[in-house]
Amino acid sequence: MSPTLIPLSSNDMWILSPEIAMTALALLVLALDFLVKRREIIAFVSVFGLVVPAGLLAWIVSTPNHPVYGFYGMYTIDNYAIFFDFLFLLIGAGVVLASYDFVQRYMRSSGEFYALLLFSLLGAMLMASSRELITIYIALELTSFPLYVMAGMLRKDIPNDAASSVRSTEASLKYVLLGAMSSAVLLYGMALLYGITGSTDLSEIAVALQHGFSGGPNSMVLLVADTFIFAGFGFKISAVPFHMWAPDIYQGAPTPGTLFFSVASKAAGFAALIRVFADGGLLNTGSFYLWGFIAIAAVATMTLGNIVAIAQSDIKRMMAYSSIAQAGYILVGFTAVAYQPSNQTGISGMLVFLAVYVITNIGAFAGIIAFANATGSEQLRDFDGLFRRSPTLAFGMILCLMSLAGIPPLAGALSKIYIFVTAWQEGGLLPWIVIIALINSVISIAYYIGVAYRIFVKNPLREDRLRVSAAISVALAVSVVGIIAATIFFQPLLNFGVSGAQALLK
Amino acid sequence: MSWLLTILVFLPTVGALAVMAAPRGLSRWLSAVFTGVVFLLSTWLYIGPMLSSGGNAAVFGNVSHPYWVDQAPWINVTIGSLQLKIDYHLGADGLSIFMLVLNALLTFLAVLGSWNIAKRQREYMALLLLLETGVMGVFCAFDLYLFWLFWEIELIPMFLLIAVWGGQRREYAAWKFVIYTVLGSAIMLAGILLLYFNLGSQTGQYNASFGWLATHHVSGNLTILGLTVSSQLIIFLLIYVAFAIKLPMFPFHTWLPDAHTEAPTAVSVLLAGILLKMGAYGLIRICVDFMPSGAHQFAWPLAVLGVINMVYGGLCSLVQSDMKKMIAYSSVSHMGYVILGVAAAVGPGATNPAFKEAALTGAALQMFTHGTITAMLFFSVGVLYDRAHLRDINAFGGLQAKMPRLTWIYSFAVLASLGLPGLSGFVAEYLVYTGSFSTFPILVAVSAFTVIITAGYLLWMLKRSFFGPLNPKWSGITDASILEMTPLITLAVLVLFVGVFPQFLINLLHPSLSNIIQTISGAVTASGR
Repeated sequence: MSPTLIPLSSNDMWILSPEIAMTALALLVLALDFLVKRREIIAFVSVFGLVVPAGLLAWIVSTPNHPVYGFYGMYTIDNYAIFFDFLFLLIGAGVVLASYDFVQRYMRSSGEFYALLLFSLLGAMLMASSRELITIYIALELTSFPLYVMAGMLRKDIPNDAASSVRSTEASLKYVLLGAMSSAVLLYGMALLYGITGSTDLSEIAVALQHGFSGGPNSMVLLVADTFIFAGFGFKISAVPFHMWAPDIYQGAPTPGTLFFSVASKAAGFAALIRVFADGGLLNTGSFYLWGFIAIAAVATMTLGNIVAIAQSDIKRMMAYSSIAQAGYILVGFTAVAYQPSNQTGISGMLVFLAVYVITNIGAFAGIIAFANATGSEQLRDFDGLFRRSPTLAFGMILCLMSLAGIPPLAGALSKIYIFVTAWQEGGLLPWIVIIALINSVISIAYYIGVAYRIFVKNPLREDRLRVSAAISVALAVSVVGIIAATIFFQPLLNFGVSGAQALLK
Repeated sequence: MSWLLTILVFLPTVGALAVMAAPRGLSRWLSAVFTGVVFLLSTWLYIGPMLSSGGNAAVFGNVSHPYWVDQAPWINVTIGSLQLKIDYHLGADGLSIFMLVLNALLTFLAVLGSWNIAKRQREYMALLLLLETGVMGVFCAFDLYLFWLFWEIELIPMFLLIAVWGGQRREYAAWKFVIYTVLGSAIMLAGILLLYFNLGSQTGQYNASFGWLATHHVSGNLTILGLTVSSQLIIFLLIYVAFAIKLPMFPFHTWLPDAHTEAPTAVSVLLAGILLKMGAYGLIRICVDFMPSGAHQFAWPLAVLGVINMVYGGLCSLVQSDMKKMIAYSSVSHMGYVILGVAAAVGPGATNPAFKEAALTGAALQMFTHGTITAMLFFSVGVLYDRAHLRDINAFGGLQAKMPRLTWIYSFAVLASLGLPGLSGFVAEYLVYTGSFSTFPILVAVSAFTVIITAGYLLWMLKRSFFGPLNPKWSGITDASILEMTPLITLAVLVLFVGVFPQFLINLLHPSLSNIIQTISGAVTASGR
């Protein structure tokens, strides 16, 4: 049979227009880097250029035939994709602002960094919208490759850390190798799934699993496919036992890169994970083994992340383990989804938690970057007495850390309660997992408050006032305002998350 | 919406931000103004309804129909089988009002009492104000989730206040405080979730507002790890752990002596005067009212633990040489009265409900009494410590010759604390003893020795440090200043007034408490025990 050319409609292009705009923006930034070499202009274009894809998305949403499907159902902009797309655009703006000075000082390359960041976000947006395995895989690679480069972009040592640029290169290499391996595992899982179902389209897979597949929910080949796919995405979201890369690479990479990994890679990983498992009908097989595997991964992820985080002396390593632990909380929601797939509550909990996590983590990392810019250090002990050296920076950081720790009434606490509630109400073994998660929250207090303790209580090493540049102040302020707004207006965020979840599992 | 409760809760936060934004020199003035205004507004909680009803205290209402309500929808999601509803629902009936006013008063006095804090005054004042917000929220939240959210706000300000401005072992004390509190509130959240979903599936309506929870009780049994327990008992215990830590109840009390001893004077005052009351308030308002038959089943252990608190706390006080530590253990002892009173109110035996209400009223009055009297004790010790930088009881002696004013007021506080008739301590203790005797005769007989022990350690301390021959080392010590006397005299007047005329507080509490007693007897009759 000779391949036939499938005609594309203008509708398909319209659906793809936000991504096309994103590509154009990334190319424009790359070109500007050659032409003007002015960091201000490049950063300005990168941030405000994001308005174009955002506007196109808003336009698509506002049309009556939303949710829209294109490319013969392989690609969609439904509420789920919208939720993630706006999250990714927010990440883009936040990271560009937060990285503004750092890029100049330690990386000596603004255009490349911003262009890579935009390309990676483009991949992430594609991941959230694709409903076909090959497309998802390619989008995943498009997301990942810029990250590998970004990890190695530290060209100049951080003053207090002589080996930092070497470590950056090492991180980059490790990231490539481990990333390639995880892609291979993911592909293997996808290949097995294709072998079982004869399709790479998620809705066809779902139908095939439900009606055409004779092996039953606990057949070995299906479980291996599930596990491999989970492992492949588990690498992206740094779920235990696929988390090994995170601490080394978070520590070695330039801090804006670390920020980007901790939010974009994680959000994109979850976007595709949920999409494949829910839309692909993998959860609907009702396999107890699959549920057990996810539950164990959730418990192990949050427990290991929280306990190891306490022992860290480098704030980026600590944040790496913190982000592992946060992924564990999100997986608690996923456990609930796997337990009762027809119920969308767990997914809405994951989405809301992820959104709050992203907003908060941008703020926390903006604080770390600002501190590194001003003092040249990323060691925890150097944060001693920060409150007296820069009260506003300290206040912003403490607020973000408290939100991450889930101290009421901040948004972090609300999203945590919500995701725990969604899990608890499924009954069965879920309340026990929630209790383990609650114990974990208590453990996490130790290191989050530990940093706040250093910042506020300890005596500063030096009495100088720290200077914080305007761009980072904006990033931190946006994050702080975002947290407070998400606290007061939690309901709209919740509605957004619920509508996203309802787009799946139809 | 009357907005008054919202203003009371969030005005201190505004104050904290204002203090941080204003120049350093203004911080104590600003915080005095903010806490003062909050206090004046809080008195309207009492005066307003009294004026409008012509002095009829029934107007304050109960948990289902509180006089003051501020309500707005906040979070409401229905998806699949899940219904989660958290309202911004503040309310205040008699039980809330008197804690709210006490909190406003003590925070104001604490600001006055910290007037001469030199170290990082601005941050100190801002944290005191933030603390006030959290505690205000706890006392007027009328939604269980909202209550839990407010419950934890207090954590960070308190932690920092102890950790920065505390004494020698402040870091240890601060961390111990945090670990205990956070552990308690995590367990409480598990209890809240259990209650919410069990009740929701039984009644078909998912609602966490206090009015609903007080009128609809969860029933049936839960099997946990192969053990079948009544749902109410397990939920009661889970939620009560957080309150037991805060109260503090033996054996969860060990954080308190450390925190009290290390905290600066005004923070000790707030800790003893207000934060411990959060536990007592939660016990009465939530544990007893929402899980009456669970509380009923746990009445005996509760009473025994209360008596242990009273006697053990008293005995520990007897052997302390550090004045603050002694007062801290005396708090443990005094909070035992609250536990005993509550246990008697929910306890076995079909005794006259009037006795039960007397016991519960005694417990509630003890919250107020202990809050004011212990605040006086801590303020007095603070005056002494500011001059001598010592709290060792035996290091002083004969101070009355040099400090007549302080001796006078300190003796007053001591006498109030040991329950001298005519002062507020007596009223509370008398009501608890009278109300509980018919329910737990032997336990009350044992616990009556506490009165002797209390008199023992307090008077002995007074004799050793203030009377007898003057220790020549302290011949240069100066008496308490007018500023330092202000909070002490204010509290003394209050203690005396309540001691002579307790009826106005009893009237204020009656609508809330009689409603709780009805709930209890209804539940106990229904369960046939």
